[in-house]
Amino acid sequence: MEKKTAVYICTGCGIDDALDIEQLSKLATEEGSVPICKSHANLCSKEGVDLIEKDISGEGVNTIIIAACSHRVMYDTFNFENCIVDRVNVREQVAWSQKPGDEDTQMMAEDYLRMALAKVEEMELPEPFKPEQEMSKDILVVGGGLTGLTAAIEAAKAGTSVVLVEKEPQLGGFQRNVEKIASMPYKDIQDNIINDLIQEVTADDIITVYTGAKITKTAGGPGVFEVSIAQNGTAVEHKVGAIVLAAGWQPYDPTKLDEALGFGASPDVITNVMFEEHCEGGKVSRPSDAKVVENIAFLQCAGQRDPKHLPYCSSVCCATSLKQALVVKKQNPDANVFIVYKELRTPGQAEDLYRKAQEEGVIFIRCQSPEVKVDDSNLSVEADDELLGETVVMENLDMVVLATGMIPATAFGMDITQEKKQEEEDKDEEELDVPLDVIRRSELLNLEYRQGPELPALRYDFPDSHFVCFPYESRRTGIYPAGCVRRPEGITAAQEDATGAVMKAIQCIELTSKGAAVHPRAGDMTYPEFAMQRCTQCKRCTVECPFGAINEDEKANPLPQPTRCRRCGVCMGACPERIISFKNYSVPMIGSMIKAIEVPEEDEEKPRILVLACENDAYAALDMAGLHRMKYNAWIRVVPLRCLGSMNLVWIADSLSKGIDGVLLLGCKHGDDYQCHFVKGSELADIRLSKVSETLDRLALESERVRFETVSIIDYDRLPAILDEFAETIDEVGPNPFKGW
Amino acid sequence: MSVNVDPNLMKELRHFGLKDASKCMHCGNCTAICPLSKPENPFPRKLVKYAQMGLTDKILKSPEPWLCYYCGDCSDSCPRGADPGETMMAMRRYLTSRYDWTGFSRRFYMSEKFEIIAISIVALLVGLALWIFHAGNPNMEHAHLNSVWPAPAIEIADMIMGTILAVLLLSNTWRCVKFTMGDLLKKIPLEIYISQAKELIVHFLTQRRFGECTDRMQWLVHLLIMTGYSTIFLLVVVFTAGGIHVIGLSWDGLLFQRDVIYPFFHPWRLLGYYATFAILYGTTYALIGRLKKNKAPYKNSHGTDWMFLILLQLTTLTGIFVHFGRLLDWPMTTYILYAIHLMVAVPMLVLEVPFAKWAHLAFRPVVIFLTKVKEKYYEEQGLTG
Repeated sequence: MEKKTAVYICTGCGIDDALDIEQLSKLATEEGSVPICKSHANLCSKEGVDLIEKDISGEGVNTIIIAACSHRVMYDTFNFENCIVDRVNVREQVAWSQKPGDEDTQMMAEDYLRMALAKVEEMELPEPFKPEQEMSKDILVVGGGLTGLTAAIEAAKAGTSVVLVEKEPQLGGFQRNVEKIASMPYKDIQDNIINDLIQEVTADDIITVYTGAKITKTAGGPGVFEVSIAQNGTAVEHKVGAIVLAAGWQPYDPTKLDEALGFGASPDVITNVMFEEHCEGGKVSRPSDAKVVENIAFLQCAGQRDPKHLPYCSSVCCATSLKQALVVKKQNPDANVFIVYKELRTPGQAEDLYRKAQEEGVIFIRCQSPEVKVDDSNLSVEADDELLGETVVMENLDMVVLATGMIPATAFGMDITQEKKQEEEDKDEEELDVPLDVIRRSELLNLEYRQGPELPALRYDFPDSHFVCFPYESRRTGIYPAGCVRRPEGITAAQEDATGAVMKAIQCIELTSKGAAVHPRAGDMTYPEFAMQRCTQCKRCTVECPFGAINEDEKANPLPQPTRCRRCGVCMGACPERIISFKNYSVPMIGSMIKAIEVPEEDEEKPRILVLACENDAYAALDMAGLHRMKYNAWIRVVPLRCLGSMNLVWIADSLSKGIDGVLLLGCKHGDDYQCHFVKGSELADIRLSKVSETLDRLALESERVRFETVSIIDYDRLPAILDEFAETIDEVGPNPFKGW
Repeated sequence: MSVNVDPNLMKELRHFGLKDASKCMHCGNCTAICPLSKPENPFPRKLVKYAQMGLTDKILKSPEPWLCYYCGDCSDSCPRGADPGETMMAMRRYLTSRYDWTGFSRRFYMSEKFEIIAISIVALLVGLALWIFHAGNPNMEHAHLNSVWPAPAIEIADMIMGTILAVLLLSNTWRCVKFTMGDLLKKIPLEIYISQAKELIVHFLTQRRFGECTDRMQWLVHLLIMTGYSTIFLLVVVFTAGGIHVIGLSWDGLLFQRDVIYPFFHPWRLLGYYATFAILYGTTYALIGRLKKNKAPYKNSHGTDWMFLILLQLTTLTGIFVHFGRLLDWPMTTYILYAIHLMVAVPMLVLEVPFAKWAHLAFRPVVIFLTKVKEKYYEEQGLTG
């Protein structure tokens, strides 16, 4: 495509108070030799957009630079089909955050325009990715329990065909053994609904059910998953577009519990799961002699929230014990029912069930470590009541129920990082510097992915991505965990999960079929392209991809699967040979932008600082600072990155050897409470940066010239201070000796 | 030390008016908002917890139920509608029944039917006694009560009743002291009890602590009923019948409204009018409140609450009628009204004072006094209570 570039400068929103528009236009037409440069007082108005559109149709403009507000706003207004569009943020990050009319302010705007001119040179129109195979729009649901069944029903309601795989001979999962349930509206216990769900699924002809079946292999990616299912010795192949993982949970093994809880000391000390087996037909009887229960104690947190057992809250056991207490009370209103709890947790509206239990006369005792005493025929519980400040004793109990917690189905099987570490040691290769994810061989999906056969765990073996920011996402694109495999939860939440995950799966299928990326860059039509002839098989891209999108062949050549890709560019940042690029985002493109920055001579005393900012949080925070009219240092030049993980070290070398005095990287918080949209990006950038000292040493430069800071969007008020302080440091270190080379 | 949980207490306490205590989630808002709750004697949450856990021993030892005057702030601010104020009230009823060694109080509280039957029987017995023991030829020309029931006879009956009442109330109060003090009772030297004795009198007469509650109207109403009742009790039960006469210390000037009609400004008559006004105002205010349930303390009414107010008001009203009967000099009307007056007043005194709501007039000041004694004792021991 031959580019015909035009620059449009908006003079509204205070931009023309801060800048000399004429001089800026002159830069475009003279230095940039752009044929068309126009300004408008209100470019985002219909009139302004018409002005641009007229040039597109009349003058054949196809490359458009808009110097106006941040690209984070008005993106749908300045959306011109089949045109390369770049936005120069002269509003939030220049006019609103710099001294109006100042020489430095003008220089900043001019540099940003130069950078945009250089950028569009390197940009191309995206061509959506179309896989060779035909794409499927079906959904695979793994697990036929409450969540899986709900997911299948919801998908079928939306007109999507479903393949449902259940490992047990019957559908229903854990709920099959349950008599009464605790669910919305929680006013009382309710009848189980599982049989209705099973019937609905069995009757629906767009749902194909495999029971007693196992997934032996999952290959491909969104839109083109190839799933091999083994059932009774026969193998079936299915093509699906996306996967909902509803593999469920297992109860914590009560034999591992502390002795004080008395499991095993008496047949009448059971778990909440065993309780369900003992109340068939709604009749609760003592396990040892089938006597009707008169005195019963439920002990909450049997292992949960205890670092020795399950460090997390299972969220559902309190509601379950309330339900079971009510079952006992329904059978025998005079029964004495005790619930001994650390903190009673009833998420959602389950608190109403607590009220109901109070009404029915259940006695609640707050205690951190109750003790079960078994002696001859007397079963008792001793508890330090925190509110009473004394030990209370519940005697002559017929039954003690230990409320054990949930472990996700993904928590079983060997962790492959252990295997990998072993391999690495055997091979005696250089130490792995990228921390490996926990992936267990739980035999649920058996993915044919280079990074491992199952979903990576976030924490406690739950395969979530980040359930507050990105619900139902996992770190494998197109695979959406739902139900108790995602997090411990009750029936209401599991049903919600199933619906949400199906919606995610449908979105994924639709976007993938158009060649677009899914969350968080939903709709992005670019994808990474590999210049394979220059590949050195270093494996950095296949190892570092946070989403396991790149497989490899026997010779360690990367085999990218673009439908799995989230377009973060981490591979681009990782590649030492710089062979990976996107149509509108590449190492040379950012390199040219850096080179376009004008570095004043040393005696002008105008140092330059390059800021590489994550565009999801840090760049947005910079915009926010401008929005609040906070002023900050005028030496900085900001380049937004898709993710700081896409930062290639060559850019730092380029900047420093060009005479830029300092480089500041603004990324997201990483670690346990990471905020990175691409999970690993900022962490990887930080690791990569540890190698930058080599570059600095080679150039004989001070290490203070490069710094990494983590900011989140709400830290905008901290930003001016961070920038000013870094500028001061750079001033102290002195000018870069490479200026003018 | 460990305690056994007794879930049955809650079921039992229902008879004493406990309703919503099971809704309590122990947040402690009630204790925080109560102007009377102190760190050394916190309530109501502690007592709600005792009730839920069935800790009868602890309840018996607790002075807190008597430190509460039931202004209702706690119930108004309870986020769960657990009505902690009513729990404290139920505790007082329960304690009254536990202090009573005859077991009569318990039956009184446990069954409204029993309460009504007991009152009816006493009323009938009084009526019967008045019928049987009236003099042969009553004065039918002038209202002259002595001609029907001669003063000495009434005085003897009054003294017998007074003695029984005193014995019952004092013995129950002694049990209250024993339960509340436990082992401390004998440990604390007598001087401390004596040094704090003024507290007993001050709190009996003024209910000063009630004034610390946010709703001071309740204190005023309570004070009206209390002073009115005490005045009339002294006038009628002590001075009229005046054991004074029997032991030969009769002085006409001290007799209350038998057949002598004092001039309007005679102190006895004025005191009588004050008492009448105070009781009528207080009981009417409380009855309307309870009917309308317009305040937290009036929301839940136990049978004994009604009985107490109704009997008190009826006694006062019949007393007024007798007074007018005498002033108008209508003999037969006066005699009948007098009989009815006694048929109401006597059951009220005999049953309510030692066994029911009235008993708090002894228990509350005594327990406040004992709390002060304990405080003083710990202070001297250099301990913090």
